[in-house]
Amino acid sequence: MTSMSPIAIDEPKAPEQPRISRRGTWGVSWHGVRTVAQLELRQRVRSTRWIVALVVWFVVVGGLTLLLSGFLSDAMLGTGNSGPLMFGAVVFLVLGLGLLVTPTLTSTAVNGDRNAGTLATLQVTLLSPAEIALGKLAAAWLAACAFLVLSIPFLVVALFMGDTPPFAVVRVVVIVALLLVSVCGIGLGFSALVSRTAGSTVLTFITVAALVLLTPMLFGLTFSSVEQEENVQVWGPVDGSTFGEDMECGFTTQVQTVAHTERTWWLLGINPFVVVADGAGTGPIVHDDYGSSADPLGSIRDGVRSLRTPNRVDNQCYYASDSLPANDQRGDDSAIWPWGLAANLALGAAGFVIAVRRLAIPSRTLARGTRVA
Amino acid sequence: MSTDVADSAVTPPAAGPPPGIVVRGVSRSFGAVRALDAIDLEARAGRITALVGPNGSGKTTLLLVLAGLLVPDTGTVRVAGHDPVADGPAARARTGWMPDAFGTWDTLTARQVLLTFAAAYRIPTATARVRVDELLATVHLHEYADRPASVLSRGQKQRLGLARALVHSPDVLLLDEPASGLDPRSRVDLRILLRKLADEGRTVLVSSHVLSELEEMADDAVFISRGRSVVPETITTRSTWHVRALSLGALTGWLTAVGAAWRPGEGTPDGPGSVLLEVSGDEGAAQLVRDAVAAGVPLTSLAPVAGALEQAYLTLEEERR
Repeated sequence: MTSMSPIAIDEPKAPEQPRISRRGTWGVSWHGVRTVAQLELRQRVRSTRWIVALVVWFVVVGGLTLLLSGFLSDAMLGTGNSGPLMFGAVVFLVLGLGLLVTPTLTSTAVNGDRNAGTLATLQVTLLSPAEIALGKLAAAWLAACAFLVLSIPFLVVALFMGDTPPFAVVRVVVIVALLLVSVCGIGLGFSALVSRTAGSTVLTFITVAALVLLTPMLFGLTFSSVEQEENVQVWGPVDGSTFGEDMECGFTTQVQTVAHTERTWWLLGINPFVVVADGAGTGPIVHDDYGSSADPLGSIRDGVRSLRTPNRVDNQCYYASDSLPANDQRGDDSAIWPWGLAANLALGAAGFVIAVRRLAIPSRTLARGTRVA
Repeated sequence: MSTDVADSAVTPPAAGPPPGIVVRGVSRSFGAVRALDAIDLEARAGRITALVGPNGSGKTTLLLVLAGLLVPDTGTVRVAGHDPVADGPAARARTGWMPDAFGTWDTLTARQVLLTFAAAYRIPTATARVRVDELLATVHLHEYADRPASVLSRGQKQRLGLARALVHSPDVLLLDEPASGLDPRSRVDLRILLRKLADEGRTVLVSSHVLSELEEMADDAVFISRGRSVVPETITTRSTWHVRALSLGALTGWLTAVGAAWRPGEGTPDGPGSVLLEVSGDEGAAQLVRDAVAAGVPLTSLAPVAGALEQAYLTLEEERR
């Protein structure tokens, strides 16, 4: 481009809007992402606030773990191993606190910079919108993972209390990390959509709360609507047989109320706590004498999995030695967590895509009430 | 410079280097507000062009379009030969933009801020270190290089912002109110720096409200009002001069006698005083001095009331009403 023809410029223009080249919007280089991530981390890590947050996290998780272990060793005295219960409690504690802390890491990433007047100067550089968004996401995820790494010692402590496969720690950490990156993505999307930082933070928290609290509530509230009366095969004592160990069992057909939770189980399936419980890979459930289990993760896993096949045979004859034929006993036992995790990651990815599109320049629209610079 | 200021807005140069910025018929609306209304502008390479206009006239919007942040509704833009809309990265690589209001990352040092931007412009680290040291010296911030940006004063932040806009040696420099917050010394430095950059063949477009400031540094001027580029009544035709004499009575008596339309200034008829007079350019002023001295009026001084830009600006204001 040595010289420009003035004719090309002065040609009568068609009234249509100028074409925007979106080439380069999605271009990503390691150099660019690292530049943004480094900038974000420097801004955070430099502040002593960050160190304080990490220390507080360690103390809170550690303290609660100690209290729990003390409580459990008292309560479970002589009734078996408290290992899986301890492990489940620490996992849920770490996930719960992680879901509470992570939204703040990205929910002001874009609009906060815009308000501080540092975003536009970064946008006009050769960094692509995808690099800016990815850098911010990576920095926030690293920060979230720092909290997670600090929690690993307590998971290991629970592991030493027994009855939890060691590999469960790895699985839990990986799944929680992936759930947290989803939350980072959701926060990033809201921070690009909403101009006020308070608004985007609230929306991110509401989304996380909806995933955690609203899903089981909706599952419960819709329970009655999926119930209906229908014929059910019952494996029960045949007529004349007396109740006891040696009773004779057989199939009959009865009209029963059946909850078709196969239509609503996914509400629980996308819940982060269910995803972690299902994916943790703790051992098979062993019921104690009172019919309760000491492994909360395994119980949730088995419970939610069984909701997918509610219409199996009603076994009223479990005391009898003449037990139900094996192939009728178990429902679908395939894992739920890959789907639940994928749903969460899809939400995070949607947030990320929104952020990239909002960061793309030149822009046609401006967010209400904002100046570009 | 007086004629250049007025003329350059209308007549493009016949020859010379290719224009650094060419804007043709650019419009941009925000809802019902028409921020830019078919604006035309040309800024030549190697020259400092002043962008002058009242508040809300569309200066900042125009600079946002030029910086590649906003899509114009209609019209074409060329910055350093590239279209910031269709070929954003190429145009942005050659454009340095300093917004009127911007922030800095408070926890980073001045050096880190500049190094981050150098990395964002994909300048190799070794080159960037040298360049950043140079720039810190240029804007007199080397003492503050390793202090966090939060301790910098407003003027120092402004200088850091200027260094940031220069980090990739852009061909085209867009400065929105660069002098605001600067102390007099820094203003002079800014003027010298911009002159040096223009002499290197770069295109410099400066918007400012400090017209006397602009007048000293700008080679050309573009006036914009209500989103349009306007041609002010040229300064050379008539302007207001401040005429002072030892005896106001003698001055006014003579002026009335020759039929000049004077307006009262200050002073009493018996003592020294002054009047305001419409004069046709420098020749008119010279004529006035000759005639007054010949008529025996004790003239003490004769000076234009305001600078050329300010006068042109004021005719704009009148036009707006």
